[in-house]
Formats: sequence, structure tokens, C-alpha cells
Amino acid sequence: MTQKVIQIPRINDGRADFATLFSIWSQTNDYFEDVRFDFSTCWFLRPNAVAFLGGLARLIESRLGKVEFDWNTLHDQRVMANVCQNGFAGNFGYPTSAWSGNSIPYREDKTRDVGGIMDYLEQYWLGRGWVQVSQRLRDAIVGHMWEIYNNAFEHSGSEIGVFTCGQHFPHNETLLLTVVDFGQGIPAKIRGFFRQHADEELVAKLTGASCLRWAFQAGNTTKVGEPGGSGLDLLKEFVRLNQGKLEIYSNDGYAIVDKDGERFENRELTFEGTVVHITLRCDENLYRFRDEAE
Amino acid sequence: MKLSIKDQIGPRCIIKEDGQKIYDAVHGALQNGETVTLDFEGVSQFASPFFNFAIGQLLKDIAEADLRRLLQIEHLNETGRLVVERVIENAAKYHGDKDYRKIVDDILEQQAKESD
Repeated sequence: MTQKVIQIPRINDGRADFATLFSIWSQTNDYFEDVRFDFSTCWFLRPNAVAFLGGLARLIESRLGKVEFDWNTLHDQRVMANVCQNGFAGNFGYPTSAWSGNSIPYREDKTRDVGGIMDYLEQYWLGRGWVQVSQRLRDAIVGHMWEIYNNAFEHSGSEIGVFTCGQHFPHNETLLLTVVDFGQGIPAKIRGFFRQHADEELVAKLTGASCLRWAFQAGNTTKVGEPGGSGLDLLKEFVRLNQGKLEIYSNDGYAIVDKDGERFENRELTFEGTVVHITLRCDENLYRFRDEAE
Repeated sequence: MKLSIKDQIGPRCIIKEDGQKIYDAVHGALQNGETVTLDFEGVSQFASPFFNFAIGQLLKDIAEADLRRLLQIEHLNETGRLVVERVIENAAKYHGDKDYRKIVDDILEQQAKESD
């Protein structure tokens, strides 16, 4: 079997960085191909990249390819320390154990492990003493985060599961969480749903941005026989009230919700799956519950 | 009839399977016009899949006004109240008829306007 070498560059969490990740995904789309990830040019790697690359490795393995993260090529000590600390390197062949710090552990959930995911959010994401928020707000946050996982498990159809990584940034008191699946993607699911009701010719014209806009509207759901359509709606409202940021990359669509509202865009580079990238502020004073927002 | 949700489910009401348990426990009584009280004392975490199944499903064959009259909810915290209200609002829309052809046409019309 041939081995493809893919360079992992510096990856932050801007749109161009996600384009880089989707380009890496597109380079791995051949079945029965082994992949070696080379970090020679990597001197910065955000948790969104960690979650994405971990999931991508499992995707390649599910196609019977072998994946090697070539840790010998990773020369940047801060990046190395970070991927050791969050457990990512240990998951992929580097002889180390994770330890506590500012990073939030890399996590893989092949199936919906409710207790495990909720404990992770409470204990590792919010509960490390760095987020000074009340218990009531803590409960509200993890409940809203569960909507992301529920959507991923309910809708994506991903056979390899869901991949998560996060980080706490003490200098600006923010928390990041990225949840990735390599399922069908939200626009693809919506187009598939509409095909049952409308002409293929028309459905094919629906853009990724339009599909995401529809998904974000309260009460819209592709579920049949059961009500839904509240999860994203509740999540986006919470993020806006709390001056956070929610970004979703799915197929050819991109959605962003922040204090300025919600916007939807089409992206040239598509990928099969969904990335939810969320930024929350840790300052209790910024948070407002709905009944306090008036 | 009164149900302690913490006893039945625990402190997290977030998944549809748990919502289904509550639906199964209360649906018959509500259909018979009995009053049902759900007591959320000790429950602190909420998400929409639970309420979609526990309460949203009830709107399939119980009118919203009847449901609001017969179903009493106690000790539900603010986050839970927000989720349940949103679920009821959306379930009412869901159980109404939808013309998806028109919805697709409307989306395409909006797309066309945006590309002008």
C-alpha cells in the first residue's frame, strides 16, 4: 500500500485555517491509502485542528488505511507539549500520558456516551477552577453544549463518532470547544430531506448557506415522526446573549453567530462532515439569562 | 398524578430516551383528562431532546390549551423553563401541516435575492 505524506502547517482557528483542514481532508479521500502526517512546518496547532486531525485519522483507519503521526518531525516544543498535555499525542503513538494544564483533553466518542460527555464538559472543560461561574450557569452551559453532541449523534450518521478538543485561554478568559464529525453534513441531510418533498432539480440548487439558515430557524427539523428544531435555536440564543461566538462549517456552508447576529456563507471548499467551533467568555458578569436580558 | 423527575430520571434531563419514559408515564392520564404534575426538584441540567419526547410529543393528540391546563410543572429552573417553552412552541409548528415544496421555493427565492 502506498503512503501519502501530508504536511501539517501552522493551524489557527480562522476561516483560512479551516480551509487548510478541509484541504488536508480532501487529500486523504482515497481508499486503501496509508497516510503519514508530517509536522516539520507546524509551529502552532489550535484545538480545532487537534479534534479535526484525530477524527480524520479514525476516518482513514475506517477505510483500512494506516495513519502515522510522525512526532519526530514536530520540532516546536510548545506544540509538542500541548499535544502531549491534551492526550492527543498519547492517543496516536507517542509514549506519553496527558496531564492537567490549560488544555482540555482530546476526546473521541464512537458512540453516544452521555455520562462521559457530560462529565467531560463539567469536569474538564468548565470544572477546573478556571471558570468562575455559578452552578446555575454551569448547568445551563453544559445543557446547551449537549445540544451539539446530540445533533452530531442524531443527524450526522457518522460511523466513527464524534471528536472533541478545547482550550482555556487565561489572558482573555475564553473557553474554546470544537466538536467534529465526519458524517453526511447538515446541508446534505437537509437536501436529502427536501428531496422527499420537492423536485430534485430545485433541491440541487439549494446552497450550503441556505440550508444552514433553514437549520438555524426555530422549529425546522428533518426528523420524521418526532418534534425537534429547538437545539440550534437555543444554542445560538445562548451564545448571542453571552457575547460568545458559534461557528459551524458543514459541507459547503458556513454559519456564524456572535453579538452582531447570524450570518451564512457558501464556501468553495466543501467537506463531508460538520465542525462546531464555539467560544464562550468565562466572566460571570457578562452572562445574562434570558429573563435578565431585558 | 405526580411524578418526581429526579426519582424517575435523575438530575440530568437531556436525552430523548428519558423523555420517552416520562411521555409513556403521563400520556394516558392526560388523554383521560387527568391532571398530571411533573416535579423537577433536584433536576439541574436540561436539553431539548428530553422535552421533545416528554412534552413535545404530547401535542400530537392533545391540544396546547388542554396540555397547559392539565400538565402542571413544578420546581423547574429558568433554563428548563426556557427549553420547555421553546419545545412547546416548536412542537406546535411541527404538528401543523407543512408545504415543503413551498418552503424550497421560498428558500430559492431568498437565494436569488441575495445573489442580485
